[in-house]
Amino acid sequence: MNNAYAAFAARRLVQALVVILLAYVFTFVVVSILPGDPITNVLRDPQNGFSEDEIRQIIAAQGLDQPVLVQLWTSLTRFLTGDFGLSMRSSRPVGTLIAEVLPSTLILASSGFAVALVLATGIAYGTQLVPKRYGQGLLRGFPSLFLSVPNFVIGLVLIHLFGFQLGLFRVIAPNSFWATVFAAIALGIPVSAQIAEVLIANLDHERAQDYAAVARSRGLGPFRLFARHLLKPSSLPVVTIIALTLGELLGGSLITETVFGRTGIGSLVQRSVSTQDLPVLQAVVSLAAVVFVLVNLLADLVYPLLDPRVKLVGAASRRPTTADDGASQAVTP
Amino acid sequence: MSLLSPTAPVTTTSRLAALKVPPTVQLSFVVIALVIAWSVAPGLFTSHSPINGVPADKLLGPSAAHWFGTDHLGRDLYARVVHGTSSSVSSALIAVVIAAVAGGLIGLLAGFFGGWVDIVLARLVDVLLAIPHFLLAVIIVTALGFDTTNAAIATGISAVAVFARVMRAEVIKTRQAVFVEASFLLGGSRWHILLRHVLPNASRSVLPLAVLQFGLSILVIASLAFLGYGDPPPASDWGLLISIGKDYLKWPWLVYAPAFVTIGTVLSLNRISRWLRQTD
Repeated sequence: MNNAYAAFAARRLVQALVVILLAYVFTFVVVSILPGDPITNVLRDPQNGFSEDEIRQIIAAQGLDQPVLVQLWTSLTRFLTGDFGLSMRSSRPVGTLIAEVLPSTLILASSGFAVALVLATGIAYGTQLVPKRYGQGLLRGFPSLFLSVPNFVIGLVLIHLFGFQLGLFRVIAPNSFWATVFAAIALGIPVSAQIAEVLIANLDHERAQDYAAVARSRGLGPFRLFARHLLKPSSLPVVTIIALTLGELLGGSLITETVFGRTGIGSLVQRSVSTQDLPVLQAVVSLAAVVFVLVNLLADLVYPLLDPRVKLVGAASRRPTTADDGASQAVTP
Repeated sequence: MSLLSPTAPVTTTSRLAALKVPPTVQLSFVVIALVIAWSVAPGLFTSHSPINGVPADKLLGPSAAHWFGTDHLGRDLYARVVHGTSSSVSSALIAVVIAAVAGGLIGLLAGFFGGWVDIVLARLVDVLLAIPHFLLAVIIVTALGFDTTNAAIATGISAVAVFARVMRAEVIKTRQAVFVEASFLLGGSRWHILLRHVLPNASRSVLPLAVLQFGLSILVIASLAFLGYGDPPPASDWGLLISIGKDYLKWPWLVYAPAFVTIGTVLSLNRISRWLRQTD
């Protein structure tokens, strides 16, 4: 087991590093090679007032006259040493720009995640404990509904109801406590649906197992069956889903921050998109990929330790969760 | 279904009845049919112009004359929603086609050939999955330029990985089936097996995914339009309408009406997708 685990861990680690490097290259290709030339567009923008000579100097200084492969190599080696280059708009280090806005996004994303987890467990456990005639069907419909609502709409509805009508928070103070709470709710609702769907599928699966029937035949009531037998095996696989929702949180914060007027990674991306500030975009996207890959690596490494049922066979270490939908089929490698 | 005598003709209606479409699914099909009708012939559903408004009638609440009220320029919001449907729906369609064709091909090759092809393609898919899909869509649309078609292409590319994974899993499952082995032993070539057996079987589980992804694409494209990465006004994509409405939150129907249409459409698609998966 230990040898098998070490081999598994080593293989996953190498895979993760390869994916991170490739993600960087992929982003580089997308932002620098596709049609349109944002760099000279920005430099030639009359508002910036650079002369032809200055433009040539800047391009030379940034190494933009080098062949693409050389540019890729320098930017990749810099990235690996933690140097993300300079923003094209403000000429400040990209690392500093990101570090400035990161705390705000971390607060939003972590509270959004907390909201998602509470909602998801509430809904999923509710489907097991609430009897059919008291609205179990309604609870089962929630994840699908949550996935059908654009999260900017949730944000706008919350702003309209609680900000304008009830006056709980003011839109012009986006970092106040209540504004953050409602931003977190807007961010968390779509994410909760993904977790809830998998959790419900797992719970239903466990409840149909023989051991559950045995427990019922021994006279266990629905609540004790749930608490003693179903809760643990169906909740453990969620660890890996949680890691996957990270991307959703990052993408969602882009919109949520715009809706609520917060500063953060999302607003930084939006500003960089409208000014075509490529170094910033390259850094944010690659860092998002790094974080995503590392968190999923961690989940993959921790999971076999948590769940003794997982066997590490050959190249394929499959997680036991197999909810039958596209979203979670995407989970198993 | 009761046993039919050998001579009894199986009519289309009895087949449909045997499917037992649940009422919510029937409703979903009605909603989708309406949305398709809106996008094909918007002129049949409203006589108001989506572009020229009556300034005197600005910001009116919903009424019999203006079902969804009017906006800040006195344009009928219902007309704008109906006329924006075609662009919202067709762009989502483009996205799904891109994702399903590209992702399906990747999954098919990876699953069918295995070995190095599989390993290389699996890493490619990992890369696509590693970048949060909305962020991926944003940078691709930035690179391509802001308009609705590019937003659709970006959304499609960001969903390639999902299709690739499902297709690969299905192909591997089918390839190991006994009937495929039998076909091979009977002298079926690789291409014959691929086209005759693997592809039709695998596509059965890709269809529900495509329907689900169609709904998700509507949401992603609406989000891109909301951020201003789609066609500029006077286009009236659903996301753009909501985005314009957010500046007039004192007149909430400007947000709620297009949002309601978007949610209803996506919800119906999700329901149909779930039904397709169950009846499979």
